[in-house]
Amino acid sequence: MNDAAHEIYHESYAQRIWRHFYADSFARNGLRVIVALFIIAALAPFLANSHAIIRVADGRVTFPIFPSLEPIEWRFLLYVPLATLVYFFRKRFSHRPGIHFLSIIGIVALIEIVLAFHHPVNDPTNDRDRPASFKLMPPIPYSPIESGPDAFSPPSWKHPCGTDSTGRDIAARMLHGARTSLSIGFVAQSIALLVGVTLGGLAGYYRGWIDIGVCRFIEIMDCFPPLLLILVAISLFESQNNMFYIMAVIGLTSWTGLARLVRGEFLRLSSQPFPQAAQALGAGDFRVIVRHLLPNALGPILVSATFGVASAILIESSLSFLGFGMQAPTPSWGDILNDANRYIDFAWWLAFFPGLAILITIMSYNFVGEGLRDAVDPRLKVK
Amino acid sequence: MTTYLIRRLFLMIPTLFGITLLTFLLLRLSPVNPALLRGAGTAENGRAMTAEQREEMIKFYDLDKTPLVAYFDWLGKVLRGDLSDSFVDNRPVIERITERMGLTLSITGSALIISYLVAIPVGVLAAVKRGQLIDRSISFAVFLLYSIPSFCAALLLIFFVAGGDYLNLLPMYGAGSVDASVMGPFAWLWDRILHMILPVICLTYGSLASISRYSRVSMLDALGQDFVRTARAKGLSERLVIMRHALRNALIPIITIFTLEIPGLISGAVIIESIFTLPGMGQLMFQSIDAGDYPVIMGLTLIIAIVTLVSYLLADILYAVVDPRITYE
Repeated sequence: MNDAAHEIYHESYAQRIWRHFYADSFARNGLRVIVALFIIAALAPFLANSHAIIRVADGRVTFPIFPSLEPIEWRFLLYVPLATLVYFFRKRFSHRPGIHFLSIIGIVALIEIVLAFHHPVNDPTNDRDRPASFKLMPPIPYSPIESGPDAFSPPSWKHPCGTDSTGRDIAARMLHGARTSLSIGFVAQSIALLVGVTLGGLAGYYRGWIDIGVCRFIEIMDCFPPLLLILVAISLFESQNNMFYIMAVIGLTSWTGLARLVRGEFLRLSSQPFPQAAQALGAGDFRVIVRHLLPNALGPILVSATFGVASAILIESSLSFLGFGMQAPTPSWGDILNDANRYIDFAWWLAFFPGLAILITIMSYNFVGEGLRDAVDPRLKVK
Repeated sequence: MTTYLIRRLFLMIPTLFGITLLTFLLLRLSPVNPALLRGAGTAENGRAMTAEQREEMIKFYDLDKTPLVAYFDWLGKVLRGDLSDSFVDNRPVIERITERMGLTLSITGSALIISYLVAIPVGVLAAVKRGQLIDRSISFAVFLLYSIPSFCAALLLIFFVAGGDYLNLLPMYGAGSVDASVMGPFAWLWDRILHMILPVICLTYGSLASISRYSRVSMLDALGQDFVRTARAKGLSERLVIMRHALRNALIPIITIFTLEIPGLISGAVIIESIFTLPGMGQLMFQSIDAGDYPVIMGLTLIIAIVTLVSYLLADILYAVVDPRITYE
């Protein structure tokens, strides 16, 4: 059989999952919405900003928007296209993974080093009223932290989602808040994955005392309602509620489900012949775990992680809502809802729009999770 | 069964130990406490401290002792039922918690019961009509409900039906009207029920979604079993097959998953009670965190964790009771 024929008849595990996943319209559209949300989050500074994108005045062309970008905005702006590029050229990567992996690390390191020395210019002025022979303003010409003269204005053409108690534009805050919510969901769940897979994997592979210890620990953690533990942790360690701290707390309190899952999968898989075969061929424990057991448990892990991202986003918005979230100027969806709690008698838009955004995000993640669950279900193999 | 129960109870001891250790460490390792002792609390953040309070802090945290000694001292006090006194009003923590327990138990309890009553028929219907339009719309509606944050629903419900610019049907805040104390018993009860409708709705729909998912899966599982085929083969009506044969077996796992809902319900209660200003345990937790009332935070965390642990035990026992096949021997 030549290579081409092989391509036609052979469908890899990932390809089969993808085919099942893509056949489910809920899951497919959920994924599309998530991708769209990430693009919006990456482009937020260009969608809502008080600075012009291009400004021509006195015969000089300037781009006032760029000096004001925060490091995290640069990160979104640079890493999302980088991830897309890596995704599209993934086939080439598999030929020489080492070199390509190193070059990606190099690019990331370069970006981080440059960003470490980059200080954004905090320019409180805006380009809305400043005269210019030509200017291109973002669609929503307000910055998320800019207070305006008209507080509590209901949705209108000027402010499509209304304004809050200090006259900040809700649409601008929501666009920039998308970044907070999405990155918290992603990073918090990555931390949970790291802890959950490590502990669950060790327990499932080595069994014995490690297993007993990990299981007790999971049981103890599960006795504390997640939000309660997070609230206590945040209130006790409140140095400043920065984003990474909140990510870490959410991640470190939501790994138990994953650990249980990985432990179960590892227990099941390690009783099968293939890990023993690998061991007989001289593979060490680490190699058996990472190269043989983990790839086989990846499907269920991915499903659980997807649902985990949704719940991390929900937890973050609950925290901000209760006033334990990000520091004041950082916009987040929960933060707008916190404002809504105080003025709910008349300002419905403060609750409606961020609520809708959270709803759409969480629903998309849940649809993707559900679609993945159906796709990795071994009972589907016959199809 | 008895041997199993005894073994299960013994297995709880290390977990209980771990719960107390984690609660203790969380407060002991917190970098905020030494900062408080150094006088970082200012009038501005509401944590100004008199010399007396500082003494109290040092005494409470046993900071002059080594962590291990301090832990066992604290554990000894807890085992004697002494959760020390609140910083805010110097009343015993246990008293402050018990007086608020009733309200939280009643709203979470009714939320749980209502969600079961609604979720099981919905889940069963979806399973019976698998793949049809009704199944897909139920799935969609359930996902929609599941994805609306409870606090968001609470805010919009308050705005649209309770005292906002639209309908003014239900009271907005609190557990009772101002004049609740002078009402007759029936008027009081009615007033209480009116005040509880919105909080209970907000707490219900989250668990409703997950329970109905579970019942759908569980029912689908039961419908695929051989005994259902046998029942159909011997000519029973579809109604009998579903109600008597499939449903009864599907109910076993559904009944026991109520414990999975409990941590979520308690988390929900913290949010819902703070929105509707209900004087329950969740609000106490929130207020204590805000006021830095560490004895109350520790006491509440410990009690909630133990309640959750006991409910896990209950689920295990219940499982053995409802399913005669499980013997655990």
